[in-house]
Amino acid sequence: MSEKKMVYLQPIPIRVWHWTNAIGIITLIVSGAQIRFPEVITVLGSYRTAIWTHNIAGLIVAVFFVFWLVYYQMVRDTLDKIYIPNAEDLMHGILRQLLYYCFWYFVGRPSPFHASPEVKFNPMQKAAYLVVMFIIVPLVVLTGILLMNVTPLRVLILMSGGIKIIDALHFFMACCIFAFLFTHVYLATLGATPLAYFKPMIFGWEEVEEHHEEPHVEEPPTIYRPVRHFPEYPGKTP
Amino acid sequence: MNAATIHRMSRLLMTAATAAVLCASAAAAQDGPGYSFGDSAGKNEACLTCHGDAQKVKGASLINQTQFAHTTHARIGCPSCHDAVGAGHPDGKPTPRASCQQCHAEVNSEYSLSIHAGKAPCAGCHNPHKVESPREISGMEINQMCGGCHDKFKMSAKHGEWLPQADLHLYMLPCITCHTGAKSYFVSMYIVSTKNETRLGKPEVATYEQLRKVTGGRDILSLIDTNGDNYVSIAELRSFNRSQQHAFLRLQGMMTPETASHKFEILDNRRNCTFCHGSGSSSMQKSVLALPEENGTYRRVAVEQGAALDALYGTPDFYMMGSNKSTVMSIIGLCIICGGLIMPVFHGSLRFLTRKNRIKKEHHS
Repeated sequence: MSEKKMVYLQPIPIRVWHWTNAIGIITLIVSGAQIRFPEVITVLGSYRTAIWTHNIAGLIVAVFFVFWLVYYQMVRDTLDKIYIPNAEDLMHGILRQLLYYCFWYFVGRPSPFHASPEVKFNPMQKAAYLVVMFIIVPLVVLTGILLMNVTPLRVLILMSGGIKIIDALHFFMACCIFAFLFTHVYLATLGATPLAYFKPMIFGWEEVEEHHEEPHVEEPPTIYRPVRHFPEYPGKTP
Repeated sequence: MNAATIHRMSRLLMTAATAAVLCASAAAAQDGPGYSFGDSAGKNEACLTCHGDAQKVKGASLINQTQFAHTTHARIGCPSCHDAVGAGHPDGKPTPRASCQQCHAEVNSEYSLSIHAGKAPCAGCHNPHKVESPREISGMEINQMCGGCHDKFKMSAKHGEWLPQADLHLYMLPCITCHTGAKSYFVSMYIVSTKNETRLGKPEVATYEQLRKVTGGRDILSLIDTNGDNYVSIAELRSFNRSQQHAFLRLQGMMTPETASHKFEILDNRRNCTFCHGSGSSSMQKSVLALPEENGTYRRVAVEQGAALDALYGTPDFYMMGSNKSTVMSIIGLCIICGGLIMPVFHGSLRFLTRKNRIKKEHHS
């Protein structure tokens, strides 16, 4: 037996961060493509406009990354629970979720994972977001800051292997984010309806199915007597 | 007086004048070295006996003989500009000086139309005893001239109002590249040495002495032109960039106008970044290697067409957005992006083909 229930999954700060990040990253991809291939891509008009747009969008994404980190770690104190896979996730969860996406989904079985405010992501999502949010995004932000300040940060750039290493890292990490974007958006359509996972990121609430099993009531043993404890009177029972 | 008499008299006067000029020249020749145009040996030597000696004169009167010797001003000789120096010199009287426009009238008329006119005299930028053509000077030295009046930080802030990374642009480009019009440009590549020969030291233009020391007394060009054909190929530049023997030496490049005009102006078309930042920008195709000479000037050595960006890209601290991009990197990047499409395309196709399974389950539940 199951019943549908609304769960408040995405608080306002996270929704603001998510959509700012989304717009920022799309802007960065378009302006970055024009900066790298100015002879082919001229969407934003002049090269200078592309540079300014890229710099401003990059700074916004960087600031919001810090905001995201501070919000989850310091305000909610749930960063590790939400984003870091636990032992169960690593041993069984990822494989279970992978099997679901690769096989069970096609035969119509339900997802083995149900989101809650405490555990928002399935084990595969956790692993993917861990890489994206803790490796790729910080790297792209740090290399971007170095590339924006070549003269003042010249020594740091040289210590990191030179400007071409920094540029290559920035470019490859940006390509990874672009690639992740396709998968991210596609997986978001795998809910009960194609828009089911988009709604919580807009309105905050997600409709989840709660499975209830008929409670199996055991007959209490005849010698059993429920005892009520009163902690304020230690050692005394009525 | 008839016409024939007038003709005869004029011929007589002309002959007498010619004879007078010849006599005067002969008399001058007997006095010692000639002061005429093109003869520098004698009189320059007399002047430089004092003006080339730091013990005898100081400040602006002191002339660096090595730097002066190769200039056109040395060839025409000191008296060409400082005529009528009295026999009692130095007697405290001001030394007569020629005006630059007496010879450089064309430059002067061009300069008088520029935004600099009336603000800086010729000597404000050019030391007449060290005048060098743009061919003989590095881009960094050109900017040092400008830096005499234009404060580096103010300029950086002013350019920063519209130019991203203004400080980097001002360091990597001669001011005249954007502030004088020219039909064509080339990339002047020169060797820089890191301060104290450390990996992270600030790069400074390598001096003749430094490079001579590295080559062990051989011609500096042999550092790069290994086959000695007085022509630098891309392969030779790559080999120089990869050499670990002199890792503290690097190539740097400055885009320089072929012909430097004195019409300093603010050119709006230079605000178009793709003038430089674009694949195969025409202004970046031609390059030369500028090597320091013993006399403080630079000599130019021809470099293979299209080598500039390839060679500079080989150095650890050069990257020009839009112009330097590795094709291999672009292909790998494209593969990564396509990798992101694998899941949506394959999973999406199977999802579409198996949609009935999920509808059935929904009906059952």
